[in-house]
Parts: sequence; structure tokens; C-alpha cells
Amino acid sequence: MSYYFTIFSPTDTPLFTHEFGTSRSGGDGVPHFTTAERSMAPFVLHSALDMVEEVQWGPSTSSGSAPMYLKHIDKYANNFVSCWVTGANVRFLLLTRPRDEALGLGGSGNNRGSLAGGRTGMTGGGGLYNPSAPATEEAVKNFFVEVYEAWVKTVMNPFFHAGNGDVVKSPVFKARVAAAAKKYL
Amino acid sequence: MTPPQDATPKPPKYPANLETSMILPKQRASPASSLASLPYRRSNPSLQKLFESTASISGSRPSSGTATPTAPPSTIPSSLFSPGSRYNGAGTPGSLPPGVSDEHRTLIQRAFAPHVAVLADTETEELIRAKGFEGGLLQLLRPFGESVPGKVTIRDSVGASKSYEDFGVRFVGVNEGLGLPPMPGRDSTSGQKEGGRASSSSIRPRRLGGDVPQVEELVDRHLQYSEFNSQDMVADYLNQGEPQPQESTTSPFYTLYLRRLLSGLPLVPHETFAHPVAGIIAISSRNANPIEELRRLYSRQHDGDLRFPQWVENDYLRYYVLVHDEETGDIAKSNQTFDSMKRHFGLHCHLLRLKSQQCIPSDDDSVRLPTCEWMSASEELAEIQKRETSDDITDPTPYLPDSDITAIRTFIRELVAQSIVPNMERAVSTWNEQILARRRGISGRFMSLSKRWTGFGGSRTSSSSSSTSNSNYDSLQGFYRPDAPEALMRKLADYCFMLRDYKLGLSTYDILRADFQTDKAWRHYAGAAEMAALSALLSPGPLTSKTRTDTVNTLIQDASYSYTDRQRSAAPYYALRTLALGLELLRLRGSSAADDAARWASRILETGLVGPIGAALFTQRIAACYVVRPGVGTLRVGSRRRKAAFWAVLAAETWWKMERALQADRCLELATSLYGSRGEDGELVGLPSQDMQAFVDALRQQIMGLRLANRGFVEGGDALGDGDGEDGVGDTGVDEKRLVVEDEALETLDTSPRQHRKSLIGVPAPAVDVGPLSPRVDRKTQDGEVKDDHFEGA
Repeated sequence: MSYYFTIFSPTDTPLFTHEFGTSRSGGDGVPHFTTAERSMAPFVLHSALDMVEEVQWGPSTSSGSAPMYLKHIDKYANNFVSCWVTGANVRFLLLTRPRDEALGLGGSGNNRGSLAGGRTGMTGGGGLYNPSAPATEEAVKNFFVEVYEAWVKTVMNPFFHAGNGDVVKSPVFKARVAAAAKKYL
Repeated sequence: MTPPQDATPKPPKYPANLETSMILPKQRASPASSLASLPYRRSNPSLQKLFESTASISGSRPSSGTATPTAPPSTIPSSLFSPGSRYNGAGTPGSLPPGVSDEHRTLIQRAFAPHVAVLADTETEELIRAKGFEGGLLQLLRPFGESVPGKVTIRDSVGASKSYEDFGVRFVGVNEGLGLPPMPGRDSTSGQKEGGRASSSSIRPRRLGGDVPQVEELVDRHLQYSEFNSQDMVADYLNQGEPQPQESTTSPFYTLYLRRLLSGLPLVPHETFAHPVAGIIAISSRNANPIEELRRLYSRQHDGDLRFPQWVENDYLRYYVLVHDEETGDIAKSNQTFDSMKRHFGLHCHLLRLKSQQCIPSDDDSVRLPTCEWMSASEELAEIQKRETSDDITDPTPYLPDSDITAIRTFIRELVAQSIVPNMERAVSTWNEQILARRRGISGRFMSLSKRWTGFGGSRTSSSSSSTSNSNYDSLQGFYRPDAPEALMRKLADYCFMLRDYKLGLSTYDILRADFQTDKAWRHYAGAAEMAALSALLSPGPLTSKTRTDTVNTLIQDASYSYTDRQRSAAPYYALRTLALGLELLRLRGSSAADDAARWASRILETGLVGPIGAALFTQRIAACYVVRPGVGTLRVGSRRRKAAFWAVLAAETWWKMERALQADRCLELATSLYGSRGEDGELVGLPSQDMQAFVDALRQQIMGLRLANRGFVEGGDALGDGDGEDGVGDTGVDEKRLVVEDEALETLDTSPRQHRKSLIGVPAPAVDVGPLSPRVDRKTQDGEVKDDHFEGA
């Protein structure tokens, strides 16, 4: 499974981008996008912002305060997008590209029982990737929560103006995102 | 619009240049150029006329269709995006989103027209063939039936009358439109029509549509043509699109694709649109024994060798025509014959007076036969091929004297307004009373209920033998007998649909759906669901409520699923038709329905119902679907601008992969305008992210190279011999480099970029993302002044 994580400013500028692969199920943490998928990923995430706004400003589905974690909101081909909105309208978008086997593509049906393909904890029941499976949602949520913590610390820096489109360059922040990714995804 | 490479003189091409000889095979290797290089570089005026006339038809239908009916199509102004197509705005549901024309709605309405079978005796065929019409009476009548002159008034089931200007009928041959090609053995008997056509080309032109690969091939031919030798024509498209920037998202080729998809509906058991509503039986005044001949033709058609398959209702309206030869015939005698015809056959008769002499273009009152708008893809392909291979540069389309045209128009007007439409209205009201009312009543409900229960029990016990004893469905052969109540109801619903009484149609389709589901007649079920969805979308009432939209979506889903996956023999053509028409009509509903439209379009792409051309066209269409959805309020919440831009980029990439540079260019333009005009203060702002900017720039550069390469082929191929020969595309050399630089300058060095863009450029990254893609670009040398040099603005 490969991930592409981007933080969008309120004016739709990407402030931070990080690509990684899964560290679970024996993954090595390296993304496996094809070239075409890799070049399309920013477009997919940017286009998902339309859906983010719709969910964000649309009728509330939960009682009480609006949630920050919007869960799975958009899909293009084999790419699933989850979202987290901060209080300052900074959007965290995570694009998930499951392995072909987890999508029921590829001819690796016999591989499913093996250790590599058999860990369905992340991919929901039945081996197929399901973006709204509770386990998946929880893992992504944990990841977002950690990133959000790190993000809050970053934006508290008085010299950093996310609203002006300041790009995050801090290596510490990057390391924390990577750690959260390794821990939960 | 002059291509900049004209400005710089090219070095002459030396035959001994090694680079050239190395480049040439590379370029030949691309399938498009090898296909196109041969036939298209030859300027064949008759071929050009064909492409142009079809392309101009393929845009919005010129509203002059009835006002100046005799104008040859070649003189129709190329106002493809003229607002004239909105003359049918009366039936528009609600209010259209701004800038959206209901061109496709009109197209769909016109596509489902009553079919009229044409049968003529040998003398008539000879007479008309002597006028230069190889296809006989059918070829003569066909173009005129497509739009009946004047308004046609239709009374619907509740008694309200409505007039339509664009009502039409389709004339079909007696043995055409069947799912199978006509038997070769039959050609000898029904040979009067076959003889003229079969000789002309290698593709057998069948007036039968429903063949998606052929539609694709045809659209591809048109695309190639526009790509390689019609800079002026496409320039027209672009310029005409400017006044209406929104609707410029509709590609004329997409309209052509839809039209050909709907042309020549095949004759099938599960829908009756292609079943004849009436049949014309024509005899000539030269015939010695007219009444006998009419009887003979009638019996041949009724139960002889020209009979339709057994699932087609056979007792449709017969219309008898006496073709009088103005030059050799005796009018007194014809009148006498006509009187006796009226005595024998009643009102449905007509005396058609034609001149038997062949008409040539230089004659005084000669008029070119209009092009058929609704010819099937295979026909048009055959026509293109015929004109490509023939050395004759004159236009083979026959000409007609003005008086003939008037006579034919009068005839068709009378046929439609006085016979066909009243007959259909009567049939609708009869069936409505006799069958539908009975089904709707208490007993009918009970009957269907009991039937459902027995069907239910039967299905539990044995799933294979689905035909229960009290079902009218012949599950082995897969049809209902034409006199079964289900078949009649389907016919009633289809009549309603063709007469544009969508309300009654919808309720009938709904009843039918339940019946077909009980009978497990899946293809019939899919057909009813498809038409129910279309009726719901076409009916003029508002369809705003969420539940209605859900109903429609379920219907479309059901139909496409039942057409393809539910049965052993899939019918992908019908699934495609369902989704394509559904998406078009949903798109016209605007706002949230446009989302559904886009979803159905991506369903088409995912399920692989279309080939490469269709995939590109539908990708482009998704962008168009998202474009029509406006946001709410100042924040434009709910707009789909970013999605639209994304799909436009995808479409551009798809077109580029298929080497259709002009189309790719248009998509990319749309994408950049959607991405770009995001700034609150109305300034042009570049793409939000470096990666995206780099991707778009690279794509633009590649498209530009492809475009210049394509153009190089057209302009005598001197671009081939440039001599620097870096690679296949780079032979366009210096100019391309310059163009790209300018283009990038426009994109990246805005006059006043917003602040965050400055800071973006400020990070050490930018050299990385642009560098490897275009190493020759040196941005430092540019300034804001070059903005006006933006290549062609296209």
C-alpha cells in the first residue's frame, strides 16, 4: 500500500507533502506508485478539495460540533482520499493506493493466504480494501491525530504563517509525520 | 492564428540528410499519421464536403432546418454554438444552468422517432434510379423525413395539444434494421434495393446502428480529418466558442458520437422504437395493373417474404403512394388510378408527382439532396471510404428539381400530420383504455399480485425454468408475442415516448418493469428501466427532490446492470446508451444531478463500454459535467471547479496519448482556465502546486510538439527536414522551443502572483521540477512582456 499525504492551506496551496508506503504487513515503508499514479496524485488530492468543502460546509451528519476527521471522502480509480480539517481550515489529505491484490485486481488470488497478503486487519474483511472499514478509519484517524499534534506545535511558531502559504520546511515536523505513518499505517 | 513556424524560413530539405532518413520511419510508425498521410493530404472536395457537412450537423442543429429547407448543407454557416438550438426551450425542465444549451436533450428527443418502412415496386425504383438515386425511393425520402416541415401538433393522453417543430420520422427499408444481416438468398427477391448499394464499396453499408466500434471508428475519422487538414474549420470551432465559454466544453465530436450512437436503432424484441409504425407501399404510374400490384406488395409484406420477424406487430398502418411521372405519364390516367386507390384503401393514399429526368447541378432550380443526419455509422464510413477511393472529384450527391422537393415535403407533411400521428394517438388511447386501465384497476393489481406469488413460488422451486405457466414470456426465444398484453403495453409506452408524452410513458414503463421482473425477462426489464429513467428525466416537471433523483439513479443502475451482467448475452451497446443518455439528461438538471452525471460517465469508463475514442470523449464529458455545477454563495461552496479541472487534465492527457493534439489542446486550455481563475481578485493565478504545474507544462510542451508535427505533415512536410533531428518530436526545432518558453512564461511569471506563489518559487525546489522536463528553458531571460505572444490563444 502506498500513501501520499498533503497539507493544504486554506487557499489550496500545498504546504507539506510526504509520500510513504505502509510499514505493516511486512511493508518497507517505501511508496510503490507507478509513474502515472505518482504524477496524478497531486491532481487527485487537489480535486478532492471540492468534496472536502462539500462535506465540511454541508449538512452535519454528527450531532453537536463538527468533526475534524471527515473520514473517507473521495475516490478516483484506485485511489482513496481521507481528510482531516483543522480549526484554521487547513486540510490534511491522505491518498491511499492499496495494493492490487487488496483491490481484487492482479492475479494473485493464491497469494492471499500468505503472510504478506493475509493481514486483513487494515484492509477490512474479505481481503478487499474497504476505505470505510472501522479498522482502516481508526488507523487513519490515529495518524491524523498525531500529525495534527505536530502541526499545532508548528503553527504556534510565531514566524510561521500558514495562512500566507508558508511551506513547512521543518525537518522535525517531517520526522514526526514519518513516525506517525510508520506507527499507524 | 498564423502558425509561428511560417515566420522563420526553414532550411531546405536535403535528400542525402542522414537524420531525415532516420526520422522518417519513426514518424511513419505512428498509426495516425500513416493512416492519415495518404487519403487526407489529397484534397478531395467531395470528401471535404462530407466531413464538413457532418461536422456542422454534429454541432447544434441549425435552426434553419425548416425555414430554409432547400439550402444545401454545404452552405450552412458554421455556427456550431449558435443559440438557435434552444428553440425547443419550452420543454426544458426547470431552468437550465446558465450557459448550458439543451442541445443534447433535443438530440435525444429526435433520436427516438417513429420508423416507417418503405416498399416500392420495380417500376418506381427504376424511375427514381434514373434520377440518379441509387438507393431508390428510400434514399430519396430519407433526408426529408428527418424533420417534418412545419409544426406537428400532438395531442397527449390527457387531451392537451402541443406543437413540435423538430418532429421527424425515419424511413427504413423493409428488410433492414434486423439484428442479423439480410440473407444472401433473399437478395434476389428483394433485390431492387440491394443492387445499387452493394457494388459501391468494400464495407457493406447497413442502415443499422448499435455498433459501438464502428461509431468509434467514424468519430476517429472525423477527428483525424480535423487534425490534419482543416485548420480553418477548427479555428472556427474555437472562435465560435468564445462568446459562450461554458458551452465550449461540448465538443462537436462528442455530439457526433452521441448522434451516431442513436442512429439506426436496431430492430430488437425488447423495444419497439425500430418497429415500423407505418409502412409506405409505393407503385409507379407506369404500372399497368396498379391495384393488383399494391395487393401483391401488401401480401408480400404482410405474410410473404418481406415480413418482419414474428415478434414484430404486423398490422401496422399501411400508406399507399402512387408515384406519378410528370414527364412521360398521363396525369388524367394517374388521377383515375389514384381515385380507385382511394376507393379501395381509404384515406391513407397519396399521389406523389415527380420528374423522371435526371437533374444536374447546373440546372436552374436544382437543389442538392440534403445530407442524412441520422445515417448509421457504417453507412457514413462506407460513404467516406467511397469518396476517398474514387478519383472523381465531383460531388456524387444527386440533385433534385425544386418542384420535386416541394412535392416530397408536402407528401411527408401529409403522411406524418394526417396519418401517422393521429394513428399513433388513437393507438395510445385505445391501449390506454383497454389494457393499461385494466391493469391499473383493482382486478389488475390483484392479477399481477397473484401472478407474482405464483412466480415467486416457481422461482423458489426451480431457478432454471423461469417460464411459469401463466406467463406470456417465451423464455427460450426471449420475446413476448406481439399480441400479448406486455408487448402491447411496451408498444404503448414507446409510442408515448415517441410522441413525447413522457408522463404516461413513465407510468407504463413502471408497470412493465414489475411484470418483466416477475417473468425474469431481463433484457425487457432493462429496456423498461432505461426508458423509465429517460422519461422521468425528459418530463418537463421539476425533478428536484432527492428521492426522485434517487429513483432515477436506481433505474439507470438497474438498466445498465441488467443489460450487461444479469444475463448470459450481454448487450453493452444498450448499457452504453442508458448511461450516456442518462448522464446527458442529468447534466441538464444541474446542481447535484450533475454529480450523478459525472458518476455515470465514470461508470462508462470503468466498465469499459467504450473504446479509446469514447473513453477520451467521456473523460472530457466528465469535466463538462462538473463545470455546469455552480457553487452557492460567495464561497462557491459545492462547486466542482477543481474536479472539472482535474478531469480536463486527464482528458488532455488521453487525447495526447492518442495523438489528437487539437483536442488535447482544447482540454488543456479548459483545465488551465479552470485552475487559473481561482484568485479572489480576479487575477490569473497559476496552478496551486509545483508538481501540478510541472506536469501541465510538460503536457503542454508535448502537445505543442505533436501539434506542430501534425501540422508539418499538412504543410508539405518541410518540417521533416529541419536537420537538427534530436528526436521524433524535436524536429520542429527552434520554434517549438521558443513557443514553449513563452508559454511557460505566461504560466509562471504572472503580472502579480499572489504572495504564497512567490514564496513557493522562493524555495530551492523550482529548478528541480522544471529542469529535467524542459532543460532548454531559461526563465531568467523572460519578462512579463511576452505574455501577448501566447501561442495562438488556443
